[in-house]
Amino acid sequence: MNPCFYWIDRPVSFRPGETIAAALLRAGIADLGPEGGAVRGRVFCGIGACQACVVAVAGEGAVEACLTPARSGMRLAPPPSLGLRHE
Amino acid sequence: MSELAMTELPILVVGGGPAGVAAAVTLAEAGLRVLLIEQRDRLGGAIHRQPAPGAPQVWRGPARHRRNWTELTSRLERAAARIELRTSSVFLGIDGAGRFLFEDRRAGRVFARRVRAAIVAVGAVERIRPFEGWELPGVTSAGGAQVLLKETGRPPEGPIVVAGTGPLLLAVAAQLARAGNPPLAVLERGNPWRRPKTLAGLATAGPQLTEAAAYATTLAWKRVPYRTASEVLGVSEVGQGLAIRVRLGKIERLLQARHLLVHDGLEPNRAGIPLPAPGAEIPVLLAGDGREILGADAAILDGRRAAAAVLASLGQAAPVAPLEAALGKARAFQRDLAEALRSPSTLPTPETMICRCEGRRYADFTALPADASAREIRLMGRFGLGACQGRFCGPMLAELRGEALPSASPPRWPLRPVSLAALANFSMDQTET
Amino acid sequence: MARSLSLHVAVVGAGIVGAAAAHFLAAAGARVTLLDASGPAAGATGASDGAVSVASKKPGPMMDLARHARAFYGSCEADGLLRGLFHRRSTFLVARTPLEAELVAEHGADLAAAGERVLDVDRPTLLNRIPGLGDGVCFALEIPDDGHALGYEITQRLLQRSSVTVRRNAPVSEIVMRAGRAVGVAVRGEMLAADAVLVAAGIGSVGLLGLGDILIPRKGQMVVTDRAAAGRPAIDGHLMAASYLAAKRGIVRDNAHIGLVIDPLVTGQFLIGGSREDHRSDQTTDAVTISAILRDALDLYPPLRERRVLRTFAGVRTASRDGLPIIGPHPHLGGVTVATGFEGDGICLGPFMGACAARMILGEAPGVDLSLLAPQRFAAVEALA
Repeated sequence: MNPCFYWIDRPVSFRPGETIAAALLRAGIADLGPEGGAVRGRVFCGIGACQACVVAVAGEGAVEACLTPARSGMRLAPPPSLGLRHE
Repeated sequence: MSELAMTELPILVVGGGPAGVAAAVTLAEAGLRVLLIEQRDRLGGAIHRQPAPGAPQVWRGPARHRRNWTELTSRLERAAARIELRTSSVFLGIDGAGRFLFEDRRAGRVFARRVRAAIVAVGAVERIRPFEGWELPGVTSAGGAQVLLKETGRPPEGPIVVAGTGPLLLAVAAQLARAGNPPLAVLERGNPWRRPKTLAGLATAGPQLTEAAAYATTLAWKRVPYRTASEVLGVSEVGQGLAIRVRLGKIERLLQARHLLVHDGLEPNRAGIPLPAPGAEIPVLLAGDGREILGADAAILDGRRAAAAVLASLGQAAPVAPLEAALGKARAFQRDLAEALRSPSTLPTPETMICRCEGRRYADFTALPADASAREIRLMGRFGLGACQGRFCGPMLAELRGEALPSASPPRWPLRPVSLAALANFSMDQTET
Repeated sequence: MARSLSLHVAVVGAGIVGAAAAHFLAAAGARVTLLDASGPAAGATGASDGAVSVASKKPGPMMDLARHARAFYGSCEADGLLRGLFHRRSTFLVARTPLEAELVAEHGADLAAAGERVLDVDRPTLLNRIPGLGDGVCFALEIPDDGHALGYEITQRLLQRSSVTVRRNAPVSEIVMRAGRAVGVAVRGEMLAADAVLVAAGIGSVGLLGLGDILIPRKGQMVVTDRAAAGRPAIDGHLMAASYLAAKRGIVRDNAHIGLVIDPLVTGQFLIGGSREDHRSDQTTDAVTISAILRDALDLYPPLRERRVLRTFAGVRTASRDGLPIIGPHPHLGGVTVATGFEGDGICLGPFMGACAARMILGEAPGVDLSLLAPQRFAAVEALA
């Protein structure tokens, strides 16, 4: 059985050695939230440049999903989004 | 190896793609110590991104690329004694005291290393010509989709549209088709058939032409329409998918798809990298697509060229003329290709997002004074102030302002966002006291 | 007013002070040209925190002036000029050792004596206000009437709402004098005629007025993080460590000293500062200093460990030899007014000081006693020497 991490509360299984982005995409998760955010996260450039796929790792910092190997048990969520101020 | 050679400072090479690995092996084979830094957990760069363990390998790239990479990696193994490889490490730039800084993502700390010279080969970023809705989930860069396809061995599910300009559209569409999900359509903004002369010039390029012909054959076989003089005008979300407003020649149409892959060419990924004047005590050179977009074949040559320049600065003879000649041919090919696909530039609509990181639209840009300084564009416009540090809005703004280099991204460190805890954990290596 | 209608003033320096002076001069009917070697907010104004803080001021005239200046922000916010750009927020003065606690208590007493509201906060209340605050915090005071404004936003607004002519990329090389009076300024080999000249060019004032032994640059390195909250300040107040007060009160003078402040921006990001490096006028940042700032910041507010650093930058504060700003007529150069030396207090004092400078140029009383800040004070010392 493959190990898994959590996207918000949803378990996402991954192959050891795979990036977070790859596992999220295989699970059909393209919208990286937050819900109602002015701009929502998504995997875009795949090489760590655009920062659009940054996810918050509970208890740690935020990381680019496209560069970071998935680890078992990690709890991921959208990082705080833009506010309405600069809309 | 002599004791002196063991203790001498290394040459830094940043980037484990073809240019960086070619530079590293050239230097190591000449007897120098090399520190090779790669942000991911293994070498390869975007072009040679390997499948995750256990993932199906749906598409292995042109044979010549595989041969080139196999050769480079075997030379790397033979020279391993002189190459210190640090993976999962991000080059953060050079601080005000001249320290070369790196974030070790595994150890969660930032470290500095003294080096004799540096070659930065961090590849390209994709150019995106913005349209309304390009910032939505479901829209991916074609290159980004390609590296994920290589890694997962699986195409995204649901209907796909590929749009923009350049040969990568063809390659990605063909790879998706072979992996089992042929795109609905490929929309190429340029109209190469109207420039037959330039096209004829391109036909003299050997391997690239063979490669393109193979992609075209795949698309024809899978019945994927390749439309020229066609582009995306805007995208919005409908239910689980995207409504894509497109122009096909002179006709406007609405396409429904789950994914839109966009790409408008490549840009050297040089935002924020400080380049000391020639003759500086510690030279910093760019190599590969990170210096000039010449493609994967030329990147290897360019890595060798940069290594030769470093060797020359250390008094070791290294002939570069044959390399320069080959790079010149690659440059001519890229120029002809750009000419064949050239399309009139258009201004974005006021509502079009320019800076995704800070949510800034084209109307926010035009509201700035016409003579606004680079600093005002950043502080007041918030362009280039976000997490991508101007890598995407920079080229857009440079084009809109008619500038050669993105003014929104001056030299800086960190070159990329860095964990605050890791930076607090900064330590100097033993060579620095 | 009759005079101001025909008056042309050249203001040198488009930082917050120059922009404010230019705005209020134009509002009074003067014709104003604002010149900057680069552009608006290119110097310290665009590279500073946004503390409109009385809490951080040295006791004495600076504390009193800051109270006027903060009230001026309030009235400009209310009358619409600065609407939406100035926000009330608390400053928390925090101590992590018994010695620091004594310093904070003493500073609190000085603030109260100046008329400022000062509130005791016990640890449970403090943790309720700033969840996650470090274990080491043993004493804190809240200064509830402080505020926040971004220097570059204020500068832009002041210029937008005025008829001032702004000239970017216009370095002023010389003040042109005739018969002991300024008649204009030289810009790129051309002369711009003016009836009066205001020099508010920060450290650039040194070359223009020969103030090399009076003004010193003091570099400050700072850090901006990613967002910890969506579109609102991530914590309910500005954290000011005793180390910052120690520097402001002149207890520590050391280029390696960190005067720590953690400033929650309205974007949800944090701005964390900073160093105080005398005689450094470059705008580079270095990993040794930045990491020292961050270690101290993590100790005070551990939740920062989940943040990423987006930018590091340095601003160059312009400090005078005696630590007080310089504002008033130049003692020898007729028609030249000086407004500089605001050190790290330019954002707080800027709009008010600009308004005062405008009044002085128009021949009106500034409304508060600024005699202690007159440039004349250095002339007197030179004469004695």
